[in-house]
Order: sequence, then structure tokens, then C-alpha cells
Amino acid sequence: MIESPATREGGRPQGRLALSRAAAMGWGLLSPALLILFVMAIAPTIYLVYVSFRHENLLGPGSTFVGVQNFIRVLSDSDNWADALSTVEFVVLSVTIEIGLGLGLALLLNRRLPETNLLTALFILPLGIAPVVSALVFRVLLDPAYGWVDYYLQTWGIIADPIDWLGNPGTAWLAIVGLDVWQWTPFVTLILLAGLSGVPSEPKEAAALDGAGPLRLFWHITLPFLRPFIAIALALRTIEAFKTFGSIFVLTTGGPGTSTEVINLDLYRIALQNFDIGAAAALGIVFLLFLSVIMQQLLKVLGDNTDILED
Amino acid sequence: MRSLYSGLARLVLWVALAIVMFPILWVLLTSFKPSDISQALPPVWDFTPTLQNYTDVLTGNTYTSQVFGVLIVHSVIVTLASTLIGLAAAVPAAYALARLRFRGKRLTANWILSTIMFPPVVSVIPVFIIASRLGLTDTWPVLVIPYAAFGLPMMIWMLRSSIRQIPFEIEEAAMVDGVSQAKILWHIVLPLLTPSIVSASLLAGMLAWNEFLFALTLTRSAVKTAPVGISEFTNMYGTQWGTLTAAATVTVAPILLITLMLRQRVVEGLTFGAVK
Repeated sequence: MIESPATREGGRPQGRLALSRAAAMGWGLLSPALLILFVMAIAPTIYLVYVSFRHENLLGPGSTFVGVQNFIRVLSDSDNWADALSTVEFVVLSVTIEIGLGLGLALLLNRRLPETNLLTALFILPLGIAPVVSALVFRVLLDPAYGWVDYYLQTWGIIADPIDWLGNPGTAWLAIVGLDVWQWTPFVTLILLAGLSGVPSEPKEAAALDGAGPLRLFWHITLPFLRPFIAIALALRTIEAFKTFGSIFVLTTGGPGTSTEVINLDLYRIALQNFDIGAAAALGIVFLLFLSVIMQQLLKVLGDNTDILED
Repeated sequence: MRSLYSGLARLVLWVALAIVMFPILWVLLTSFKPSDISQALPPVWDFTPTLQNYTDVLTGNTYTSQVFGVLIVHSVIVTLASTLIGLAAAVPAAYALARLRFRGKRLTANWILSTIMFPPVVSVIPVFIIASRLGLTDTWPVLVIPYAAFGLPMMIWMLRSSIRQIPFEIEEAAMVDGVSQAKILWHIVLPLLTPSIVSASLLAGMLAWNEFLFALTLTRSAVKTAPVGISEFTNMYGTQWGTLTAAATVTVAPILLITLMLRQRVVEGLTFGAVK
């Protein structure tokens, strides 16, 4: 009933009874965890599906079945498509920059400089800061009247007039992506640094003796070793970036206008400010379906590169 | 040539460090500044440090609706409760996934992992509706149970890989001696697992402590937590930089200390044990 080397090799010597006892025990041990996840993942999905076909009135009775009307309404609203596009842009931009910068920093840190340990220790700090707090700090620092960013950029002669960072769509995007990059590039760096420490030095030295340049060494020796680590960083950052809410909510609230409104903010507004529950549920389900397709791909990437999945 | 590369590498790294540290140091610096000069431009660098902002924040001498110290207490309660519940569910689950063989295990395990993609904004909508209908808004369970769920996959995965590293022969020997499964788990596996349990709990606690959306949506005052309270320091009276940064320091400092202490285990936990 316990997976020992002996039973693994010898098939199932304990027979059907032992097998079912292991199953009973396994499900028993798993049940508290499954119960919690059921309450927080399955039950909400079922309820969302139910609500998405209805017109809900939160303040009184009057909940009626409306068929696929909510879905038609949500999918024909071009604002939702714009927000969906913003979401994908935010995820792709942030994650790409984080992987690129993270890889560069990891390669530099891996040169074993005297200060490597100190730098690695300090690079971990943004991971622990609540996203809401870093968003608030960014908001204050980017204030056009009192913020230090505009003040020093002017003092150093880089800009002539203060920039209203959060007041223009382009610079507001710079701010939300910049915040995500500030907070999460160190995480990517540490993952890739762990990967680099496992790259063996012998093949590198041999290839270098044969006259391979640093670029070819990186491409043919370092990168293949790093692949699983890049896969992990890519998968985990993509998942988390799709879930981003608090930092954008605090930094720009989706503004100016709806220029930085990602789908999570859209959902929050429809459900919890306009109380249009049916529409929010329909949009939420479409988002969930989209994410599960992405998640399938990411799980495949993880499965191919790591032993993180159960096999 | 080599030393030139090294010099460039160090320059880039120190610039990166400056960018990483700048907001953190700015918060610390501003929190100790007397409030009348905290917003002054050009920034005042020469000042006598004061703890006034901290006493204001903790005693409620601010323009916020609640005393921030009370919100910190709420955060501590929610974090402890959700972490303990998560732990109680994660240890047996991790043991089952690491040691037992049964039909459906692979599918269940991978499903548990895939729940991390569930966006909190999507789950908060039904939780909000059900909680309002049941009159549970602004009570402990509406935060504690979701937070336990958020940390659960990470905890299970960290503990699962630690259990796999414990030599099975130890448990086998005990079984041969006729010790029951429950006793093996309690007296042999659990003590060996303690370091992992500590770091998994601290990381799950970190997720709970930093959570914003559920606290924003499901609480009013009775269980409101620090991350929601801190956003009130910018309100219609403007932004009180001194008290905002003091509140930020109080909120972030315990987590940063834990992060520094755990170092590599933070990355291990946040990558579900894939990076050691």
C-alpha cells in the first residue's frame, strides 16, 4: 500500500485489497486539500456558469433566465475586446522584458564577482513586497508635482517639463509594465542564476580551447542547460501576469480613461461596481476558458522541461 | 580586456541594484522624516530622524477610517489562521502524493497544480455574492478559507518534494516493526519535515499577508487587513507621505526579514520546488 521499491518492481504483490486500501488512504489524506480547492475553484465555477445564463438582481428578487444573452452582450462589446488585447499586451510585454533582463543580470551575476552574494541577497527583496505597496510607492514617486522621478529627471536635464506619467496612456503603460518589471525581474534572475550554477564548466573549457567565441558558447552550451529554468520562469510569470490586479488597480485604476484596463479590472468594475453580475459571470467564463487553453500549453512546457508534474 | 568586461558587468549590476533598492530606501527614508518636510522639493537630506510617523500610524493619528495598528492585528490573525489551515490540509496531501500509489493520483495532482491559474478576480465574484447572501461579508472565514486555498498548491508541492527526499527505508523499518501508518507520519515523517514545513508556512503566510483583492472586496472594517488600509493613506485629503511610508514599512518589514532569512527557499517555494 506504500510505494516501496519492492512493490514497484514486483507489480502488485498485495493484490486488489491492498490496492484499494492505498486508494482509500490516498483519497482520505487528500480530502482536506481537495475540499478547500473545491470550495475555491470548482464551486465558484459552477455558480458562475449558472449565473451567466441569468439576469441577477443583487438588491432584490427578479433573477430570471436569459439564455446566452449575457454572452452575446459581453462578446459584442468592443470595450471588452480592447481590454482583452490590453491584457495580452501587458502579459507579453512584461514577461518578455523580465526574461530578457533577468537572463542578462543572471549571466552577469554568474561571473562570481566579489559582491555577487550581497547583490543576490538584495535582489530578492522586491519578491517580498506587497504589490499594493509597491504600486502606491510608484504612484507617489511618479507624481508630477511632488514626485522624485520628475524632479531628478528635470534637475539632471533629461526632461524640460514634468511628465504626467499616469495622465497619458503611453506613459501610464510604461508605469504599469515598469512596476511589474521592477517587482518580478529579480525573481526571474534568481531562477536563471540557479540554473547557471548547474552549467558544467568542462564542455565550456573544451569548446573555448577549440576556439569557440563567447556567443557560440552561450548558444550551444549555456542555453540548452538553461532551457528548463527559462521554461519555469516563463510559465510561472505568465500565469501570475494574467492574474495581476492589485498593482494596476492602485497605480492607474485602469486609466487614463480605460487605456490600462486589463480584463481583471474590467471584471471587477462590471461585477462589483456596476453589479452587472450576469455579464461579469459570462465574461469571467470566457476568460477562464481562454486561460485553461494557455494553462494546458504552459503545463506541457513545464512537463517537458521539469519533473514538477506528477507522472 | 577581461577586466574591462568585469568592470562593465559590475557597473550594470550596481545600476540594477540601485533601481531595485531606490523605492525601498525612499520609503524607509521618508518614514523617518519630519512630516513638514517629507514632500519638500528639492528633497531634504539633512534632517533629524523622528518616530512621529510611526506613532501616528499605530495610534491612529491619521486621516484614515481605522487605526492602522488594528489592521495589522487583523492581518496577523488572518495570516496565521489561513496558514495553519493550509498546513493541516497540505501535509497529508503531500504525503499521499509522495508515497502512495493509487488510481487517479496523477490527474488529481496535476489538477491541484493547475488551480494556480484561477484568477482571483473570477473567484471573488461568486464568493462576494454568496457571502453577502449568507451575511458573511466582513467576517474571518471569507478571508481565511480563500487564503488557505491560494497557498495550498505551493505548500503541497514543497512538502511533496521534501518527503520524496526522506529515505523510504526509515518508514519501511518502522512498518516492519508493526508501527501504524498514522504513527509513522506523526513520529517519523513530520519531525524530518519540520524545516520544509517552516519555510512553506512562511511563504504561504507571505501570500496571505500581501493579498489585496479579496480583502478589498469582502471586508468593511471588522476584519479589514493592512494592504487595504494602506491604500487609504492617499485619499481626499491628499497623500500623507510620512504616515504612508511608515505604514508601508510596518507592513513590509516582517515579510522582507523573512525573505532575507529564507533566501533560496523563497525561490524554491515560488517555483513549486522545481528550482532548488
